Formats: sequence, structure tokens, C-alpha cells
Amino acid sequence: MIPALEDIEVERIHRGNDSEKKAERKSVNVDMNPMVDLAFLLLTFFMLATTFSKPQAMELLIPAKADASNTEKEMAVKESKTLSLVLHSDELTWYRGITDPETFNVAYDSKEFHQVLNTHVSTIDGLVVLIKPQEGSNYGQLVSVLDALNLEGVKRYAISELSEFDQGLNQPSDETTEGDGE
Amino acid sequence: MNPMVDMAFLLVSFFMMTTTFKTDTPVDVVMPSAHVDLKVPSTDVCLVTIGDDERVFIGIDNKFDRKRMLEVVGKQNNQTFSEAEKGRFSLLSSTGMPIKEISRMLKLPREEQKQVVQPGIPMTEENNEFRQWIIAARLANPRLRFAIHADEGVSFPVVELCFNTLQDLNITRFNLITEAKKDDPGTRRH
Repeated sequence: MIPALEDIEVERIHRGNDSEKKAERKSVNVDMNPMVDLAFLLLTFFMLATTFSKPQAMELLIPAKADASNTEKEMAVKESKTLSLVLHSDELTWYRGITDPETFNVAYDSKEFHQVLNTHVSTIDGLVVLIKPQEGSNYGQLVSVLDALNLEGVKRYAISELSEFDQGLNQPSDETTEGDGE
Repeated sequence: MNPMVDMAFLLVSFFMMTTTFKTDTPVDVVMPSAHVDLKVPSTDVCLVTIGDDERVFIGIDNKFDRKRMLEVVGKQNNQTFSEAEKGRFSLLSSTGMPIKEISRMLKLPREEQKQVVQPGIPMTEENNEFRQWIIAARLANPRLRFAIHADEGVSFPVVELCFNTLQDLNITRFNLITEAKKDDPGTRRH
């Protein structure tokens, strides 16, 4: 590096004047301890106050309220394309169609339930799943069902009202009725 | 010591940049778990908290919106709040008081406010104050998105009423806040 002209000038002036040189070189000792204390205090504070596991959100779309102006938008769905899931407090009942269906019970979030959804999604074109929670069911169960539907790629589902038939499904073991489910 | 101090400051700056503060939740909520990976929006969000005892709380992330929300609710119910009360309200991240009792709580000093057991916003078919809060929240900030932060044990009729209220107000898209779930042997991805 070539020193700049001014630097050379300054050096020449200062050379031979030892006392001035010493005063310039004198190192400054700053007590850093308080600063470090503060840094660590802040560090601890932020480490404790921060949240790392940000909760996830599940998007839910519900249809706009049916009123006089948009009733024509409501679509009729073929019975054969529906799959109903009735949520009880401990397990859920599924059946195809609406008239005299054959009902089956599965546990929440079980392999069988996922299989049921999977076979229906792959065999029925335009499947509509009706989720019918009974009063005894809770939010966690609803979310687990919605999650399963999303995972299995069910495009259309709705949370709907219980029919009389669904309300009678409280004792699932002796409610099984005969029918082809179509 | 310098390298250590350098590192300490590096970490401090890292945490300062990345941190989002825990908001003090009024009730403990056990979130249901699901396989979704969508982040909860952090701005313009209205959080509806429902505890396992089915008390309902409402909160907005922005304190100016909270203040406006209180003004609207007050106006609807012929209640006026002083500037100081509004200021105190805007510092609370969420509220779960019936409208009539809010000003009583806001008169308390800040330390005592935290000890007040809030009974939750009344949400029944007959007395749906929750609906008024939602309307007020929307008026306070029209871009608000709604997120439901409910305990997994909340019974369905309560959830249904909450959904119906939102639907009634033409809020048809909202978020359900869940915890990320790892795959376990019971479930299976295809």
C-alpha cells in the first residue's frame, strides 16, 4: 500500500517528538462488564419470552348463509354420492346414501377410518362427505375428522344437521340396519 | 472475553429479530392436533378463544383495533368509556367480560385486573354478546381474519353456535388453530 500524502506529512511532523507519540498510543481501557451483564440479561429474557412452536392453522370454509337471495345456489346432491359421518362421543358411524343405509362404526383417527375415506374418494366421483356431529362429540373430534378428510383429499364436505336417523345412532351396536346403501 | 461477548450480542440480536411474544392467554387451551402446515397469520387477526370450561374470549392483535372495538361495542350498548378506560382496555390482549361488567373491571388497577376471573362473553341463542363483539371487531378493522382457538374438549353445540354466529355475519372463511401433529402408527398418509 502506498501511504497517502497527508499521512506522510503527519508522520514527518510527529517524528522526533516522543512525548506526543506516547500520548497518542495510550490504550483506553473500558470496563465492559456492565455491558456484558446487560447483554446476557437481554439474552436470557428473549430466550425465555420467545415462542418457537408457532401453532398451525387449519382453514375452514363454510357456506354463506342460505337466505331468500341465494337459495338457488344450493345444490341437490345425489344420495349415492354422499358419505355420512356421524360423530359420537367415543367413535363415529359412517354410512353411504340416506335411505336405509348400512352403518359401520370406526374409531376416530384409526387406520380403518382412513381406509374407508380413501376407498370412497377413489371410487366415487364427486363425493360429498356430510359431517354430522352429535351433541356428545367435541371440537377435538371434529378437527380430527376434518384433518382426515384433508389428508385423504376429500374435496367437498359439509358440517350438516343430524337427521332423525342420525339421532337414533347413539347405541351403534344394535342400530345396524339392512340396506344396500345406494 | 471478546469472542464470548460477540456471541452473546449475536444471540441477543437473533432473538430480538425472531421473537414473537407469548400473549397471555386467559385460559389454558389444549389445542387439537392436525397434519396441517399453515401458519397462523400474525397481523390483522381476531382470536376467538374457547376454554375447556366453555368460556369465550375475544382478542385482536392490534391494540388500536381493540380500542376501536370497545368504542363500537360501547356505542351499541349505550355505554361510554373514558379515555383512560379505553387505554386500559387496549392493553388487555383479550376480553371475556359481559358488556355490562367491563367498566367495573376497567376501573381496577392493572395488577388486580389480571386476578379478576372473567366469566366469558355470553354466547347463547338469546343473549349473543359474542355476535356484537364480532361485528365491532369487523368495524374496527375490516381486513380482520378470524381464528378459533378452542380447547379440544369443547362440546360441539358450543362450537356450532360459534360457527353459526360467524356464518350469520357472512364470515365464511376462518382458521382453526391446531398443533402440528407427527404421524403416528394410527394414521397413515397416502
